[in-house]
Amino acid sequence: MSYGILSFGAYVPALRLSRGAVLEAVGWAVPGLRGLAAGERAVANWDEDTITMAVEAGRDCLAGMDGPVGHLALASTTLPFTDRSNSGLVADALVLDNHLVTEDLAGSRRAATSALARAAHNQGAMLLLASDCRETRPGSNQEMLYGHGAGAVLLGEGKPIAEFLASASIHEDLVDQYRSADTDYDYALEERWVREEGYFKIVPSVIEQAAREAGIAVADIDRVVLHGSTSVARALAKRLGLAADRFTSDLMAECGDCGAAQPLVMLAHTLEQATPDQYVMVVGFGQGADAVLLRTTPALSAMKTGRGPSRYLARKRELTNYTKFLSLRNQISIDFGLRSERDNRTALSAFYRKRRDITSMLGGRCRECNTLQFPRSLVCVKCGASDTQQPESLAGLTGRVKSFTEDWLAYTPSPPYVYGNVEFADGANIMLEFTDFAPGEVKVGDPVRLVFRIKDFDPKRNFRRYFWKPAPVMD
Amino acid sequence: MAKGIKDKVAIIGMGCTRFGERWDCGPEELIVEAFREALADAGVDRNDIEMAWLGLFFQEQSAGKSALPLSMSLRLPNIPVTRVENMCATGTEALRGAVYAVAAGACDIALAVGVEKLKDTGYPGLPERSKGTFDDLWLPNATAPGAFAQLASAYQARHQCNPTDMKRAMAHISVKSHANGALNPKAHLRREITEEQAMNAPMIAAPLGLYDCCGVSDGAACAIVTSVEKAREMGIKDMVTVKAMQLAPSNGLEMSNNAWDGSYLLTTRIAAERAYKEAGISDPRKELDMTEVHDCFSVTELVVMEDLGLCPEGGAIKAVLDGEFDRDGNVPCQIDGGLKCFGHPIGASGLRMAYEMYLQLLGRAGERQLASPSLGLTHNLGGHPFRNVASVSVFGLHSA
Repeated sequence: MSYGILSFGAYVPALRLSRGAVLEAVGWAVPGLRGLAAGERAVANWDEDTITMAVEAGRDCLAGMDGPVGHLALASTTLPFTDRSNSGLVADALVLDNHLVTEDLAGSRRAATSALARAAHNQGAMLLLASDCRETRPGSNQEMLYGHGAGAVLLGEGKPIAEFLASASIHEDLVDQYRSADTDYDYALEERWVREEGYFKIVPSVIEQAAREAGIAVADIDRVVLHGSTSVARALAKRLGLAADRFTSDLMAECGDCGAAQPLVMLAHTLEQATPDQYVMVVGFGQGADAVLLRTTPALSAMKTGRGPSRYLARKRELTNYTKFLSLRNQISIDFGLRSERDNRTALSAFYRKRRDITSMLGGRCRECNTLQFPRSLVCVKCGASDTQQPESLAGLTGRVKSFTEDWLAYTPSPPYVYGNVEFADGANIMLEFTDFAPGEVKVGDPVRLVFRIKDFDPKRNFRRYFWKPAPVMD
Repeated sequence: MAKGIKDKVAIIGMGCTRFGERWDCGPEELIVEAFREALADAGVDRNDIEMAWLGLFFQEQSAGKSALPLSMSLRLPNIPVTRVENMCATGTEALRGAVYAVAAGACDIALAVGVEKLKDTGYPGLPERSKGTFDDLWLPNATAPGAFAQLASAYQARHQCNPTDMKRAMAHISVKSHANGALNPKAHLRREITEEQAMNAPMIAAPLGLYDCCGVSDGAACAIVTSVEKAREMGIKDMVTVKAMQLAPSNGLEMSNNAWDGSYLLTTRIAAERAYKEAGISDPRKELDMTEVHDCFSVTELVVMEDLGLCPEGGAIKAVLDGEFDRDGNVPCQIDGGLKCFGHPIGASGLRMAYEMYLQLLGRAGERQLASPSLGLTHNLGGHPFRNVASVSVFGLHSA
């Protein structure tokens, strides 16, 4: 038994916006964006946010893992709730036992790497999730550079796939960019200054310190995970005397920079491809830096493949309409008509009674006739027996579409509103709102997986509620 | 042993407003318009009415809660009035209340009124409501067309039918109802349409296009009922009596369990079976002369033809395209234009259907009169296919 990373996971939304499409839309005003107009960026669908992406990364990470999670931390600069446990909501959606510590880590793009540095010292068991869904001002560099996504690592005692060797952290109040509490967008300072004074001076110092503490030479580092800038990574490699390909892909071409999540997304991507006994240096940058040195173990080869960002990156839906992108991210206000005016107040006392039914998708399985049903009820829908239903989550089940429609009358931020009857194992059938299907894509008989998404926004009270929706299965 | 409602209660007067966008009317005017016609028809004094039932679905958005909209609109002399609501079966429920009161001997003459004022809500379809229950935490914010469109996708999957054939059968249903509605001076939509128009109309909820959906209308309908004995005392010889009134609400099976495949209406089948038993009908295709079914959407009517046993399972497309339910067909359906064209003021619809049965049975249906019908059926489906309230009623001639 030793301590380290037991598993990893990631999530990247299916929607991808080509940067060329952004340039086409805003280049008339900001022709300078041309230099950034290559590749594509990941875009959270209208019903995705930091929480829903964190849930997906968590599911990816926990797949096939057993044992309780006693501590869940969620790192982000875009937590949807400033006061309501975001990590707690994620814990419920991950169907975890509720006797656990839930912790929201915020305030910095280093929120996740600082947690890793802390773990290197205190060796605490936890599920560390990092997720960011930063909105960007139309025509800004960030609109080109940012992406939405989430990463995860499970830390604890067991057979780690990577062990912690050392870590180093430094604080320097170099405000390369910032977002005040009451603003929507990041404000970025001059890149050349950030590069010269920030990346080139601060990052090498922590990398060298961590290597020194572990008793290895910088030249021994096999993989460096550094987020933020491809050209900076290249220049840093040269300064550190490392081959440029030791720096792992920053995923800018296919995903963009996912903020606080980016180090974990890149780490997951790195671990997907790493081999045993490699030194991996994970770096977080922003008002200082963290460097965490890991060494992969032979257990990595035995790790079930299929987790990490690659399969999410491979599965994509092109978003070519820039106006739709703006609307999905609520950056412009399309007139969706009268039906969009519906009051979506949530009865939170009703929600509290049914919180696990909703957030953990707990249905009931009848002890008498074995019928699974959602929602759980006092009387079995099939055999009529009373008080026989054992709670059971349907979140992990694959369903089959029984009937559906594409509704152009109902309001949804992404018409048409697709919903239908979905059947699950042992008799369960549920009418559900679908997500991530384009018009014409759903067919009766299709398999679907359930994903945790925003169900409704309540703009009057600045609330959002979540539920599970059928989405296309992963290949 | 209870024997059911057959031939215990007679309808002695009915009224129905013109349905449509009644910008000129509020619920009060609609109620009074329908009531005046029924009262004159029944030939009784308003003070002879001893009990009343009001059917109203959208309360605050339409006419308000409780008995008051009816009691106050008609200035009733403080008689018992009960407001009932059972989604689209609301009008039928109002009638059932009045019929049962008379059958129970609680009163001699009872009144049933159904009304809905939808066109003040500002919505072209049914209005959205505020959300606040457990269901809102998980059920889709479905619209009625979206919920009913799924009958089509499940029916297609079950019977492996060609989607174009199905769409054509649905179009045929709407073309037929428009043709019937054109003959009805009280109907909301009185313009004939072509199959091509119906097939190519803008999509509302796939595969339902604009002409697959019924209108949303204002309107009221009204019935005055009494016992068969009392009707006889009043000198009425050929009277319309209630042969059956059955109701079957979902218990959650359709929405929660795979026993239901989504291609038919479980509660309609159950209500129909009970109603046929109550009315003593063994072969509905032969014995029924006409039907008014809940054609909120064309596909509903298509599927309901099977659920009522008017054609074999999986045979509705052929039966519809063969014209079996056209005006001159085997069992004409929606002779008055149906929900599709007469209109669908929710609370009034069940009574509007009974009104057409009443007129047809008494030979008073004017230009659209069928050749001497003696038995007819009405059907409502409140809610959505996956959870609903179905009512099936049978009305017929009764010779004293």
